[in-house]
Amino acid sequence: MASFWPGGSPAAGVADAPANRGPTQMLDEHRLTPASISKLEVHGAPNTRRALLDHVLGPLVADSAAPGTTLGQVLDRIGDATRKLSRFDIFKEEGFNVFLSEAPRPEGAPPADRTDLEVAINVKEKSRLVFTAGTDFGNAEGSAYTNAIARNIFGGAETLSINASTGTRTRSAYNATFSTPVNNNPGLRLSLEALRSATQKPWASHEERLTGGNVRLAWLTAARDTHTLSYASVWRQLTGLSATASPTVRADAGDSLKSAVTHTFVRDRRDNPMLPQSGYLFRAVSELAGWGPLQGDVSFAKTELEAQSNLPLPLRGASLGAGFRFGLLYPLPTGYSLTGPAQPSRINDRFQLGGPTDVRGFKLGGLGPHDGADAVGGDVFAAGSVSALLPLPRTGPDSPLRLQLFANAGRLVALSTKPSAKAKGKAGKAEGQDRDGLALDSAAVFKSVKSAVGELGNGLPSLAAGVGLVYAHPAARFELNFSLPLVLRRGEEGRKGLQVGVGISFL
Amino acid sequence: MTTASSSTPGWSKVQIPRPLQRLFDLFPLRAYEPNDLPERSQHLTFSSLPTLFIFTTDEDARLGLPSFNPTCLRWQTLLRLTGLEFRVLPSTNHASPTGALPFLLPARSSSTGSSSSSSGALPPSTSPSQPPPPSSSPSPPTPIPASKLLAYAQSHANPAKSSHPATSGDRLFPSRARAYVALVSNHLRSAWLCALYLDPARAGLLDALYLRPASSSAAVRAALRRQLRKAAGEQILDSAPAAGALRSRPGERERERERAEQGKGAPSWDWAWQEDGTAIDPRAVYASAREAMAALASLLAESKTEWFFDAEAPSEFDAAVFSYTHLMMQYMSDGEEEAGALGKMVQSAGDGELARHREKLWRFAWPEGNGEAKEGR
Repeated sequence: MASFWPGGSPAAGVADAPANRGPTQMLDEHRLTPASISKLEVHGAPNTRRALLDHVLGPLVADSAAPGTTLGQVLDRIGDATRKLSRFDIFKEEGFNVFLSEAPRPEGAPPADRTDLEVAINVKEKSRLVFTAGTDFGNAEGSAYTNAIARNIFGGAETLSINASTGTRTRSAYNATFSTPVNNNPGLRLSLEALRSATQKPWASHEERLTGGNVRLAWLTAARDTHTLSYASVWRQLTGLSATASPTVRADAGDSLKSAVTHTFVRDRRDNPMLPQSGYLFRAVSELAGWGPLQGDVSFAKTELEAQSNLPLPLRGASLGAGFRFGLLYPLPTGYSLTGPAQPSRINDRFQLGGPTDVRGFKLGGLGPHDGADAVGGDVFAAGSVSALLPLPRTGPDSPLRLQLFANAGRLVALSTKPSAKAKGKAGKAEGQDRDGLALDSAAVFKSVKSAVGELGNGLPSLAAGVGLVYAHPAARFELNFSLPLVLRRGEEGRKGLQVGVGISFL
Repeated sequence: MTTASSSTPGWSKVQIPRPLQRLFDLFPLRAYEPNDLPERSQHLTFSSLPTLFIFTTDEDARLGLPSFNPTCLRWQTLLRLTGLEFRVLPSTNHASPTGALPFLLPARSSSTGSSSSSSGALPPSTSPSQPPPPSSSPSPPTPIPASKLLAYAQSHANPAKSSHPATSGDRLFPSRARAYVALVSNHLRSAWLCALYLDPARAGLLDALYLRPASSSAAVRAALRRQLRKAAGEQILDSAPAAGALRSRPGERERERERAEQGKGAPSWDWAWQEDGTAIDPRAVYASAREAMAALASLLAESKTEWFFDAEAPSEFDAAVFSYTHLMMQYMSDGEEEAGALGKMVQSAGDGELARHREKLWRFAWPEGNGEAKEGR
């Protein structure tokens, strides 16, 4: 009888345990011997539906029945299957145990040409009902939350999660998410979410209240990339303006419904997302709002790309990283037309740029168009950063602490039909101001998007550089940087001196 | 945990050492021209004229037509009487510094940012002269709430245009008027709120005026409709003692229902029940509005001029009365008086003084004749 740990790396738990060495060596020697599974049992899953287990373990038995299957292949497949089971998130990670034994042969049977195995998989189910409360760090925000999770509700790894939180910026947030694997496949999940929140946006002197819901389908490809396709319908209310709110924010106050489909693709090949030393990340988000059958009050196509690459340096623990982000919002007409009049973007749909987790050395929303003190956002942005992470002499390369040298830059530009400074002389003044409504025709939209993209490369980007400390906690990354803005546009808010950043995703 | 944004005030209090300050002063090494503001902002917040934000439609706003909200219409009328040149734009209560429309945004000025120049030399409205280059103004203008509109108008209006210095002497209302203000702000207002917000027969009008402009989504409109109705009911009950709306006692609701079930010919909309179990009797509200109109009509009949209180020119009180009589006649002239045809009620008050007063003030404040809104909205 052999026991091994399929969940972790091959070395874990097996190689270092002297008691297991004999059987393991025995298995290694016999990896090429023909084998099949005659019986498979799962223990410790009283609350889990049979169909769920069948879907994962059924193919295992069926595949092993094929002639020519070796013991090694059987073991690999058992490992894959248990990894799949663990992805349902209903079994305890440390609870997996697999026992193999040779099936007893009936009296007087002819000697078999292969080993018939009996497999017993022991699992431990996680608690079905969990209440937690605690504090959380998101990007540039701290919050306290209470959370209730009901796991494996109908025995098919369905999860209901109800969450309430309040934070430094989120005045209140409630959401309930029901999530279930589709077709008993742990790599394909469908979730439904209802949410209600009120978030302060101090960089633009207002509060945004959201009420809405979304449906989300997420799947994992064979190459470990994740895709998410979601539809969201959200009522946004821009309210609670401060006394000093700018005219731009006042003009955008009020209600709007966003109805949008979004596709997100993430390929994360970094060795450690909080302190990457090697590998790369690619993320692409595409959103279509309001067009065609989607309806709603806002209509646009929006895309956001992120790429990050890290290169280890010859010195252990030292690495060089580069990141790039790009985003574009293209106003669309409502309905099925492609050439009809399109409404220019609102502040809650536009991008914000700047802050300790993206372009460091600028205040939160410090880049891009400002109306007085308000960061009013832009429709096109590009940002890039280069940084070197160096181990500190005292703590060494194995600690989560690094010295960081960085330079980052960005441009955030808004669509505008106003003739640019260069063209002002000949273009005349009345253009844009004299048209009937707020809406732009498709030619004007295209022209203004083109000129905004062109504006990205006009002059040096707004730029800051600095030096600081990075501490990578498993839950979040902390940065303390000293930086100085080198180039900016007037109105943009640079930050001279120290800046603290807490977040899970950095440029 | 401190984030960069929240740590700002703390750090700025710390005295920065001189050499460090000198280093800081060197940066940024280069500062370009400011970014252009987004298109919506350019279009909505840049004008050579001050902008009055009111409840209106895009089309009416372009033509400067009267607002469909009584409070907005009152201030819009007054501003027009002062001779101030301004444009109007549709907005919502969320945008206002006081939480309620209207408010006025002075034109942006390139030099100081605050348009305190009292020269009154505003460019004529017909010239589409481009406002100063956007986003270069360091501090955008601060909004003027309704309570300070007249003071602003008096310091900025073109005196030549204001042939009727109606509001020069009077503070808020002439002292005699104060006693009558409640007739407008309680009785007429309650009747207007009751007819527009609570009467199910006018759900279509409420939708067209307030809900459709807010969102194209039926669900959002339903949520807003509920909020609006609740607020309107509360306001009517707040002024109930004066306006004669009745609160119900527990059990009365059941008796009402029984009576309705027995088929005693009660109209479908008898009582407007609020969530807390109190109810508003529309007949009582309308009856007290009729009394108020009769009182106003006789007051007008006593006046030596065509305006209230023997005034030479329309005053704030005229504008306040007009804001209700105009909208009632425009939107609520169909049906029976008892069922909330407030327009008919205005016409039949006294010898028709209120209807004539409304007509006169309308022509007076919209002399170009474009105050004629389309009928049958």
